[in-house]
Amino acid sequence: MTFRQFAYRNVIRNRRIYAAFFMASIFSVMVFFMYSMLLFHPKIEDEFLREFAASGMIVAEIILYIFTLFFLFYSMSAFLQARSKEFGLLLQIGMEKKQLNRLIFLESMLIGAVSIAIGIFFGYAFSKFFFMIVRELLQLDSLPLYVSYKPFALTIGAFFSLFIIIAMTSVVFIREQKIIELIRGYWKTDELQNYSTVKAYLGIGMLLFVYGAAAFTSKNVVLAFAIVLPPLAALGTYFFFTHSVLFLLHQIRKRKSLYWRPYRLIAVSEVAVKLRENARMYFIVTIVSTVAFLSVGTLTSLSSYTGQFRQLNPLSLIYTSEMTNPYESDHITTLRKELEEQGLSYTLVPFLIKQQTSSFSQNSVDILRESDVNSLAIALGSPLIELDTGEAMFIPYSEESVDSLTNREIQTVLEESNVPIQIRGVYPQMLFPSMIIGSNIIAVSDEDYQLIVEPFSGKRKQDSSYKFFAFHVAEWERTKSIGLDIESQVTDAIDDDGFTNLPFYFENPGLNYSVIRATFSLLLFTGLMVAAVLLLAAGSFVYFKLYTGLERDKRQFDLLKRMGLTDQELIKIVNRQLIPQFFLPWGIAMLHSAFSFLSLQVIWRNLAEVSILSEMILVLIGFTLIQVVYYFLIRWRYISHVRAS
Amino acid sequence: MTILKMDEVTKVYEGKVTHRAINQLSFEVNKGEFVAVMGPSGSGKTTLLNLISTIDSATSGTITIDGQRPEEMTKTELALFRRRQLGFVFQDFNLLQMLTVEENLVLPLTLDGIPIDEMKSRIKEFAKKLDLNQILEKRPNEISGGQSQRTAIGRALIHKPNFILADEPTGNLDSKASRDVLELLSKVNQDQRTTILMVTHDPIAASYCDRVIFIKDGEFFNEIYSDERRQTFFQRILNVLSLLGGNVNDLSTIRLP
Repeated sequence: MTFRQFAYRNVIRNRRIYAAFFMASIFSVMVFFMYSMLLFHPKIEDEFLREFAASGMIVAEIILYIFTLFFLFYSMSAFLQARSKEFGLLLQIGMEKKQLNRLIFLESMLIGAVSIAIGIFFGYAFSKFFFMIVRELLQLDSLPLYVSYKPFALTIGAFFSLFIIIAMTSVVFIREQKIIELIRGYWKTDELQNYSTVKAYLGIGMLLFVYGAAAFTSKNVVLAFAIVLPPLAALGTYFFFTHSVLFLLHQIRKRKSLYWRPYRLIAVSEVAVKLRENARMYFIVTIVSTVAFLSVGTLTSLSSYTGQFRQLNPLSLIYTSEMTNPYESDHITTLRKELEEQGLSYTLVPFLIKQQTSSFSQNSVDILRESDVNSLAIALGSPLIELDTGEAMFIPYSEESVDSLTNREIQTVLEESNVPIQIRGVYPQMLFPSMIIGSNIIAVSDEDYQLIVEPFSGKRKQDSSYKFFAFHVAEWERTKSIGLDIESQVTDAIDDDGFTNLPFYFENPGLNYSVIRATFSLLLFTGLMVAAVLLLAAGSFVYFKLYTGLERDKRQFDLLKRMGLTDQELIKIVNRQLIPQFFLPWGIAMLHSAFSFLSLQVIWRNLAEVSILSEMILVLIGFTLIQVVYYFLIRWRYISHVRAS
Repeated sequence: MTILKMDEVTKVYEGKVTHRAINQLSFEVNKGEFVAVMGPSGSGKTTLLNLISTIDSATSGTITIDGQRPEEMTKTELALFRRRQLGFVFQDFNLLQMLTVEENLVLPLTLDGIPIDEMKSRIKEFAKKLDLNQILEKRPNEISGGQSQRTAIGRALIHKPNFILADEPTGNLDSKASRDVLELLSKVNQDQRTTILMVTHDPIAASYCDRVIFIKDGEFFNEIYSDERRQTFFQRILNVLSLLGGNVNDLSTIRLP
């Protein structure tokens, strides 16, 4: 048996212990690889999407890398600690420290190499599937599988460096200990009360304060809170796990009537030991889960914003044109032709918008004709209007203006043409997206419209009115390839000068929608994948800790069974031991996220009128289900292990 | 009155190598007796103890404990039987590390859901008897071996079982602590008429008993009863042990002064 064979056999024969973090590292290699496949994909044509997808992937890769580094380091050192007896024995029979380090290095590299290989294998196998999802999200025509050395090189390079770092650093702890300490094993029970009462109260107090602040957040302070609260919550959580929990358990232990109960005595004391041993781990798991919950929740709420997009942009294609625009008929013909080629049925409603000065406000006002508005309303399926001579109606320019204009009533004269009108009421919904036409729009009756003939003061006749072509397409989401030429002329002009001096303007909400939707759903998808890795790792932390303590637990349950513990009682005790370990970090993470969502809700209300409550509940329920499944899985394994004797 | 009756008990471990750990062993233990089982390594002492502890079952033959037959009981009934009728003392104490001495003592009572007041009064009673008052709040890793074994004995006694099974209770103790523990066991045996079956290597420990049963290769070898003086009993035990011809290392070299 050569030295390398020895290292190899150590890993292979300990595979059951290695399994959990082996799985987690394979999974993160796999996800990392798939992201890099997308990162280097030659066929993401759209400039913006490419840039966006690439930067999203890079951020996700960095998060994955750092987290995996951290996770593997923790698992590795816990694992080495659990094996300290074995290392003590090896040193006792004359192994040099140098050789021991080499052994551990070889073992880590073996695990690393195998998980990189398997991870990349599965990553490549699932890449096509991954691309199909991304293609669907980005609404691309095709996103074929490709072969290039780049994603392979990135993944292998990244994870090999990672495993080398782990292998070099995880041996540190062994160097410091004496052989006799290694042989005695790391399992030492410290005294019970190694918590500080002050910090225990501080932990609870800080959490309560943070929750209170988050719950009663208002517009004005929310940003300040967003900076102060997270670190405070993190610190509070840390104290909570390292001090408050032990303090609370000690309070239970002091009350014998609570504590000296059939299952409680063992379960509570066991939980106290496990929580104290793993306080830092639970803290990390809590923070990681909170971040995962939050990012997924936020991203889901972003996508719910896209659901309201249609309401804000009722028209499918918009073309505005000045009277002097020489391209007008060309452009309109092109648009019509493109729509027909795509097989999209549409309604075109042209408007001639006249500008006059209102005697009431001395501001310019854009005037629409009643019959034009009605033709658009018919196309959109919106309510019709009826105006008599001398009557007019506001057309809302934003959602809020519907409310603010409802009860306005104004008597005014369109000064240039001397047409007296009374403006009363508002059209009940948005007809044009804001920003396209002015904010001072009214509709007048056809008769009055005819009377407006004089040019807007200080302007020539052809400058005091403009045309507005409103296309209504029922299948508005499919218009993203319509009018790309005109669109690029407009964006080029804006890019050059910051504003458009072209005699026309074009907007395609279908295209905008597809960009926003693709962006958000890609973000969400990326976030979900990262969150899945994080949760899997968090779960395997718990599993791993259980596994390293299994020998001791097994002996304990053997003793209890000899003393007359029935199988049902054993399961009850195991439940009481495992539930806090699984659900305490989870519960705190849930509380954290719930209160963070409360604050986020305030921010969202300010930015866009979006409620994220239902998404948030969905996300929390989803994660809870995953956690429950994971709990039963681990409990099943654990019970079958402690029972086997 | 018989509390334990072993009748032609045989235990065979199947496996790659079939091993007959106990072979047609028969003996009886009377109520209130303090019995030692001795034998060289591999003679089946631990297997015997496991059979009597009802955590293992015999291949053939019958075991009767306090009129009950373990092989006829369900797993749950067995657990309840062990919980109420049996008390265990181990070589390495097997105290639960995360519990204090006091909590370790009440463990069997909490399993059975005894009222708190009752538990408290039992603690008071046994802490005094076993001299544990000073260390009730301590954890097992903070007390000496002798204190640990006294705690373990307290745990074995606190639910007032009929029958105590001790597996090398002095194996991990120095001579002073050993003597304390043995005197304690014989005091318990005399005061409460509790039956004790003790498996041991140590002839000194055995010399505290009323009777010593010797087994060899899973079979009954000999038994001797105590007499007036412990010294002479001890010598007779040594004589049988030399007859047994076990490995010399199995015999304790300690002699009484």
